Amino acid sequence: MSRIVTRDLTKAYGDLAVIEPLSLDVPAGQFISVIGPSGCGKTTLMRVLAGLEPPSGGDVTVDGQAPATARSRKRVAMVPQQPGLLPWRTVRANARLLLDVNRASTPPDAADPTALLQEVGLGDFMDAYPHELSGGMQQRVALVRALALHAPLLVMDEPFAALDEITRAGMRGLLNHLVEGRGVTVFFITHSIAEAVALSDRVLVSSPRPARVVADITVDLPRPRAADVEDEPRFVELCAQVRHALHGGMS
Amino acid sequence: MSRRFLAPAVGIVVFLGVWEAFVRIFHVRKFVLRAPSAALRHLWNTRSTFLEAGWITVQHAGVGLLISLTIGVLVGAVLAASPFLEHATQPVLTLVQVAPWFAYVSSVVLWLGSGTPPALFMVGLVCLPAYVFATVDGMRSVEPATLELFRSVDAGRWEVLWRLRLPSAAPVLFTTSRFNLGLALAAAYYVEGANLSNEGIGAIGRRASAAASGADTLWAAVFAMAILGVLGLLLISLLQHVVLHWHAAHRTRPA
Ligand SMILES: Nc1ncnc2c1ncn2[C@@H]1O[C@H](COP(=O)(O)OP(=O)(O)OP(=O)(O)O)[C@@H](O)[C@H]1O
Ligand SMILES: [Mg+2]
Repeated sequence: MSRIVTRDLTKAYGDLAVIEPLSLDVPAGQFISVIGPSGCGKTTLMRVLAGLEPPSGGDVTVDGQAPATARSRKRVAMVPQQPGLLPWRTVRANARLLLDVNRASTPPDAADPTALLQEVGLGDFMDAYPHELSGGMQQRVALVRALALHAPLLVMDEPFAALDEITRAGMRGLLNHLVEGRGVTVFFITHSIAEAVALSDRVLVSSPRPARVVADITVDLPRPRAADVEDEPRFVELCAQVRHALHGGMS
Repeated sequence: MSRRFLAPAVGIVVFLGVWEAFVRIFHVRKFVLRAPSAALRHLWNTRSTFLEAGWITVQHAGVGLLISLTIGVLVGAVLAASPFLEHATQPVLTLVQVAPWFAYVSSVVLWLGSGTPPALFMVGLVCLPAYVFATVDGMRSVEPATLELFRSVDAGRWEVLWRLRLPSAAPVLFTTSRFNLGLALAAAYYVEGANLSNEGIGAIGRRASAAASGADTLWAAVFAMAILGVLGLLLISLLQHVVLHWHAAHRTRPA
């Protein structure tokens, strides 16, 4: 069963059409990226999938349920662009936040995020407060906070956009390591072609608003992704393919 | 730490020194201005009276402030959730804030009788608007992205309030408490003065202004109130340091 299914999904704000009829099947465990010009409707699509915004038309299901239902069952985990850590909570408590909130709906398989914090290299910072962390460390906490839910769908809105290039490269490797083998479906928004190709199994390229898929590119790089995947000729080829689709869609 | 207390101490000593010199050099009349040395000496000589009265005033101002804070946060939380109610109550609260409250203190005393009730009522009332406004602002200061994160796991209204909005309002509530402390002490003093029960520093002050030889006592009362204010501020700072240790203002390193 596919994790995300949309049939002629549309979204408009008043007269402003944001998403053109979109039909999409995302199989379980797929890492799918969306790349497109600023303002084309990527965040809007993510918010519809996360059940934060109702679609204007068409059908959409996440894990076989309406997105709003999936949201109320905590089946969608979100990583926003800014880490959004609560300054009064320690790293450990921030990592637990999505488990603590609406606790009645926390799935039974959700585990203590301590092990995950160790895994992302924050073992020595469990009791630190967010202001004691670098931007990259804060975003790692945000990642752990989302993964701890064990939700089948992880949606990420340009999570690394605010980070410097070196930290970003490290985060790509970390994210690949974290999601490979976990069976989680990832819906990832980015403006970086290299990031999309390095992380994804599939890259959707969108036109300017209203969003329309101009290219659906399968990334056939082997998993687990090698640390030096970006040096491979196939990686460079795929990046060129995405870039052409992006520029074609813009004109 | 010592630097933090040195500067205010120097400021106060210099201020008192100038005051003392002014009174001595120009031979200012007693009721107009008393030399700090004379007022402080009198305060020390009658310290048992002032300790007893001070304790009453501390209770009036302190408990009144806490009642005001509690009601202010409750009202503010409701108003933060409803712009209509906010706009409906704003003029009333502003009126309470700007109206000369000392003008109607005696009416309140007539209404609530003597002793503690009118004191708590007035302190609670004059501090309320600032607490309500601060709560509304603080609760609204939450980042939309953080709110969306809470919504993404279907957090309930109460949970958003309790886990997100209230802690976000804590810093501005502390700032407001510093401001309200002065108001609370002034209101307590006034009500005690307008009161028949003869309790508190305000009552001492009233009797002193009525007596021909009361100048020393009056100025001792002024100093007693100032000392209470300083102690209150220290207490609030201490609490703030403990409760808001995570806050930007307490960062040990610049971010
Ligand atoms: N709540 C809303 N009400 C009205 N219009 C909205 C709303 N949210 C988004 N829009 C509009 O929808 C369009 C798409 O916005 P969206 O945030 O989805 O773009 P995006 O692709 O994520 O852009 P970026 O890459 O800059 O983040 C924009 O024109 C925006 O103004
Ligand atoms: Mg966006």
